Amino acid sequence: MTALAEVDLAESAGIRSLSSVMVRNRIQVAAVIGHLASQGAPVTTTQRAAVRLSRVTRLFDGLAAVSQVSLEVAQGETVWLRGWNGSGKTTLLRLIATAISPTFGDGSVLGFDLRTERSAIRARTDLLSHETRLYGDLTAVENLRFACSLYDIDPRLADPALGRVGLEDVATVRVARFSQGMRQRLALARCLMRGPALILLDEPYAALDVEARVVVDELLTTARARAQTVVVASHEAPPGHLVDREVTMDGGRVITPVRVAPS
Amino acid sequence: MSLRVAQAIVAKDLRTEVRSRSAVSTVLPFAATMLLAFGFALGPDRLLLARTAPALLWLAALFAAVELCHRSYQHEAANDALEGLLLSPADKGAVYLGKAAAAFVQLIALLVVTTGIVVVLFGLPIGPAPVLLLLTAVLGVAGLSTLGSLLGLLAVRSRSRQAALPVLVLPLVSPVIIAATKATEGLTNGTTAGVSGWLGLLVAFDAAYLAAGYVVFGYLLED
Repeated sequence: MTALAEVDLAESAGIRSLSSVMVRNRIQVAAVIGHLASQGAPVTTTQRAAVRLSRVTRLFDGLAAVSQVSLEVAQGETVWLRGWNGSGKTTLLRLIATAISPTFGDGSVLGFDLRTERSAIRARTDLLSHETRLYGDLTAVENLRFACSLYDIDPRLADPALGRVGLEDVATVRVARFSQGMRQRLALARCLMRGPALILLDEPYAALDVEARVVVDELLTTARARAQTVVVASHEAPPGHLVDREVTMDGGRVITPVRVAPS
Repeated sequence: MSLRVAQAIVAKDLRTEVRSRSAVSTVLPFAATMLLAFGFALGPDRLLLARTAPALLWLAALFAAVELCHRSYQHEAANDALEGLLLSPADKGAVYLGKAAAAFVQLIALLVVTTGIVVVLFGLPIGPAPVLLLLTAVLGVAGLSTLGSLLGLLAVRSRSRQAALPVLVLPLVSPVIIAATKATEGLTNGTTAGVSGWLGLLVAFDAAYLAAGYVVFGYLLED
């Protein structure tokens, strides 16, 4: 649909003033129309969805990073979210993690409303990205113990978690001296320690050596065994046997949800 | 859990400060240089130096607080640790209390050193009521740290970052600086008349900033 056609559609839908303001931004108009069209047309959902998004749109300075995304991820499912740079994968993960809020649309995560029950979602979700959210002046174990305080979990879990990612020998070394790969592993340790119901991995294989990639795969294996839900946004395919489904994004939209045959 | 979160934030911030030594290496020299510059600018008149000393002391404390709070949130912004605080289920009010308490401890330490400089360089007398002087210091620093810890978050999330913090802090913190300066002036001159009014004003502003910070911090942290 052309930008002009979208504006015409908007005007015929009775939002003339809105469309005249937004005519300069094709994507934004499309997003608004989609939102209006969604009124009274709820997406069919299942009862046991860990993630349920209904025509979610997120605008940044008038541009839609994610546009009218409807997505459902079942509990215990592992979904590979694929797409080019700028396709909206990271924004979608951040929306699900409640790091940002949707401009339009609604949804729920683990049964909690995306807008009004953020605290409950955060207590049960972990978002891992290249920004590791670690403090460089604290040691590895201090970073994990600090996370224990924030999440109200037993600090004695910190040492075993470090052991699981192979960082037990550098537990008392400051994170500022760590390589990016080691930081990623420490962030993985934090996730393992917490054991959240929903794990969101943003490019988890980036900057990791072979050994650390194994840790990511182990996390996926553990998550599957524990019936944790995982959404992996990555250019690289995770091992096929660890993925239930792949979802492709392009231009901020979900293009193809495809079932992956188990290998 | 809230107390545990606040304690963890205080411990983390103080540990980070001890290891990075940012206050010792930058904030303290900055405050000391500022006092020296004012001392040279005002000339050798001991009477004039002593008269302006309380105001200069609190100006130094104000600039130190701005710099300290800015650095505190810079540590949070690195590696997106601030988002880690946002995405945790921890009470955001408790996070704010922890940040403010850590800033308070560091500012008190800085004020002790800068007071020493002012006493030596400007000939500021301690006065006959050192306990009231200490109370003034505590209340003044509480105002600076509670407001600085709130606005430091705003500044680090704004596009203009470092420039934003003084612009936000200076107008709002003026009542604290004025009250602390007036109380210090009276006490070092040996009179307690009117001091209780200034101390009362400090208590009121501290309470207002603390309550506002506790309530608003979580909203400011959100997207």
